[in-house]
Amino acid sequence: MYAKFPDGAARRTDPAAAAEVLYDAVIVGGGIAGAIVASRLGEAGKRVLILEAGPAEDLTLRGYEAYLDRFYSAISKDNQAPYPVVANAPMPRGTDARRIFPGAPDASAYIVQNGPFATDTTYTRVLGGTTMHWEAKTLRMLPEDFRMRTLYGEGADWPLGYEDLAPYYTEAEREIGVSADVEDQAYLGITFDEGYVFPMKGLPLSYLDRMVAGDIDGMPVELDGEKRELRVRPFPQGRNGIPNPAYDGGKGYVPRGAVSTYQVEVGGRCQGNNNCVPICPVQAKYNAGKTLAAALRTGRVDLVAQAVAHKVHVDERTGRVTEIEYRRYDRPDSPGFTTMRARGRLFVLAANAVENPRLMLASGLRSSSGLMGRNFMDHAYLLAWALLPEVAGTFRGTNCTGGITDLRGGRFRRRQAAFSVDIHNDGWGWARGAPMTDLIDLVDAGGRYGESLRQGLVDRVSRQLQLAFMVEVPADPSNRVTVDPAITDSLGNMRPILTYDIPEYTMRGVAYARQLSKRIFARLGAEDHTAYDPAFWGYAVHTGEGYEIRGGNHLAGTHVMGRDPSTSVVNADQRCWDHENLYLVGGGSMPTVGTSNVTLTVAALCLRSVRVMLAQLASETAPIHLTSHGAARGRSPEVAQ
Amino acid sequence: MTDQSFEEFLHLSVDLTAFEETELLGTGLAHQYLAKVRAACGGEVVSALLDAHRAARADAADGVGGHDPAVLDRALRHRIFSDDRLGPVARNVIKLWYAGMWYGLPPEWTDCYGARTAAETATVTAASYQEGLLWPAIGANPPGAKAPGYGSWAQPPRIDDRYLRGGAK
Ligand SMILES: Cc1cc2nc3c(=O)[nH]c(=O)nc-3n(C[C@H](O)[C@H](O)[C@H](O)COP(=O)(O)OP(=O)(O)OC[C@H]3O[C@@H](n4cnc5c(N)ncnc54)[C@H](O)[C@@H]3O)c2cc1C
Ligand code: SF4
Repeated sequence: MYAKFPDGAARRTDPAAAAEVLYDAVIVGGGIAGAIVASRLGEAGKRVLILEAGPAEDLTLRGYEAYLDRFYSAISKDNQAPYPVVANAPMPRGTDARRIFPGAPDASAYIVQNGPFATDTTYTRVLGGTTMHWEAKTLRMLPEDFRMRTLYGEGADWPLGYEDLAPYYTEAEREIGVSADVEDQAYLGITFDEGYVFPMKGLPLSYLDRMVAGDIDGMPVELDGEKRELRVRPFPQGRNGIPNPAYDGGKGYVPRGAVSTYQVEVGGRCQGNNNCVPICPVQAKYNAGKTLAAALRTGRVDLVAQAVAHKVHVDERTGRVTEIEYRRYDRPDSPGFTTMRARGRLFVLAANAVENPRLMLASGLRSSSGLMGRNFMDHAYLLAWALLPEVAGTFRGTNCTGGITDLRGGRFRRRQAAFSVDIHNDGWGWARGAPMTDLIDLVDAGGRYGESLRQGLVDRVSRQLQLAFMVEVPADPSNRVTVDPAITDSLGNMRPILTYDIPEYTMRGVAYARQLSKRIFARLGAEDHTAYDPAFWGYAVHTGEGYEIRGGNHLAGTHVMGRDPSTSVVNADQRCWDHENLYLVGGGSMPTVGTSNVTLTVAALCLRSVRVMLAQLASETAPIHLTSHGAARGRSPEVAQ
Repeated sequence: MTDQSFEEFLHLSVDLTAFEETELLGTGLAHQYLAKVRAACGGEVVSALLDAHRAARADAADGVGGHDPAVLDRALRHRIFSDDRLGPVARNVIKLWYAGMWYGLPPEWTDCYGARTAAETATVTAASYQEGLLWPAIGANPPGAKAPGYGSWAQPPRIDDRYLRGGAK
């Protein structure tokens, strides 16, 4: 099956005409969250408008290849390298991060970093959103991640449990197209329906993974009185593998290939390009373009691109949202714009956990809980790197095929953060810019050329092992996104200001991670080359030891869900307590991030919310009258949690 | 650009990279690389580099068409790598072949030898990244291109045995 993006769909909607339509739902953001909501509402017969900040040609193969060419030609192959820089819808870039000195926020890049901790976390503002360059690990959260407060006295409890989300995880795994084997993924309380298999079979572990497994499988670890044994386990992946014939009670699964081209050419199985981040050349990796194509094919979903939501307008009396005011820029490279508005019965902000609160706060909507923008979370990554005693053929496969997940849960979470460990198939790339830095060093400083250079490269690069510890960060209200009317981008939109520090709880997990990495390297007989540079922008000191901490791009927490309107922004359905026809969807709703990359959970939450949106649309059937100051009225259903 | 200097550039490149002439030609980029070095550093520097290389090979010639590797190594170090003007250019030629990128030469070099264009870091073409010799040297594909196929990553790497044995430490 190939995902055809309907011809001209990115441009077929005239914004002026759209302003006259009262949509069933207006969605801000064409990433995975917005695309899932749009496709499901469209399929249910609802009229939907998507406002997308980035420029959008149709998602054609040619457009995709332009991304690729930009990537191949780029001098800096950082994770935004394939994507065009658009001043009217700016985005953060990993290379932006600078060390922050007390009292001197860094406003040099799009996100104003207030510190004290500087982060290189990024997201992408193009059609398809950040899934264009995500790595596509798709772990479910552990059941205990939803009950952190009750179980461990840390973080928060969700208003939902694993069992509530499980059916939506299953649906999200279908939507994304996940390759994994149940026998590898049922651990630490993760359960699957009787007879469940993933849509596609698990991707094989890399040669490097198996070399690590040779020494690590069975390694004993004791933490907080609990004994366990480590093992190298494959990760579930949102990239095409071999379809599992047993899927869906024997119906099987047809992988979705590249958008707008035939799968025989590209978009079939993952081919091991080792370039998942920042761009999969063959679209074996899921991107939200696949879901958007389906949404647009319903014929009921309109898309206006180059449309940056500027303000959410609310009826003062009822709290209901009346319209979204947006700035439609004429050209990506010049600041001219037209102010437009979009009207609907429901509004869905799906612009991600930084942009959602940014827009709400810029609209003066702080949530009566006062929590809008607070509790910003991400994962904190600690890297550790070493040379294996033997050539492992590093730099092959997807960016990461396997890792160690045994320390994702357990009683020790009373004291310190849990983590998941990635074995990076791309060596010391993230930590030290390998393999280019090795090449340059061998040639310039090592005096290597010819045979000795080739030998040096094999010795230095093909034996590289990098472990990435993805450490959980609990919610802390002082970690937050704010805005300042004086700090705007070229279109006059307030820029996000991030205040972020790494909690002690996380740092205890970080310190333990480093200790564990030393044990792992010793067991492997590997030479530890890890060294943390005090001049590094994300250098953090904990009990006298310094660490380089990097951002995880797993944004969450900024419009947290809960049972009580005084301590949360949205309810379990991601509906705003303050605005009954407004949903804030995405990572921002998550009260904890646990140790899974957030997107599968984001997708599951959105699939769950769609049902509630449909129920709300059905119950509010009375004709809706909108006037410039009046707002739609109608009782919304009590929604079960 | 004369045919002869192209030939000589290839010979130089073989010695600098330890890839064979056919492999270098197979990238389809040899002409563009020579042109890039000329454009960056000027024709005079390129001629001097090729002359020095010819002389180094002559030093090491064994009289029957081959050369003594140890003597050649010493001659290359003495005549080229330790030379203020030629050393940085030769190292850049290596990086050009391995990474497909011209790395800007430092101001010390451009101040002495002119050629401001040498200071600019640039990719040669989008293809040059994909053709970098670094990737075959480590038995991998350039990330994002020349995909080796599903599951290939589970196999041992295709790296010539002599580098597997020679190695460690
Ligand atoms: C390098 C990297 C690797 C990652 N790897 C993984 C991984 O392995 N697994 C995982 O689960 N997650 C991963 N992530 C995170 C993942 O990409 C995000 O969680 C996910 O894409 C979020 O989806 P979203 O739809 O909520 O937001 P986004 O994808 O950010 O989409 C938001 C959309 O809204 C648009 N928008 C923003 N502001 C406005 C506005 N004002 N008006 C109109 N439109 C607007 C944007 O242009 C964009 O299209 C990774 C991220 C990065 C950067
Ligand atoms: S390894 Fe290659 S083919 Fe597979 S998902 Fe990553 S970039 Fe795509």
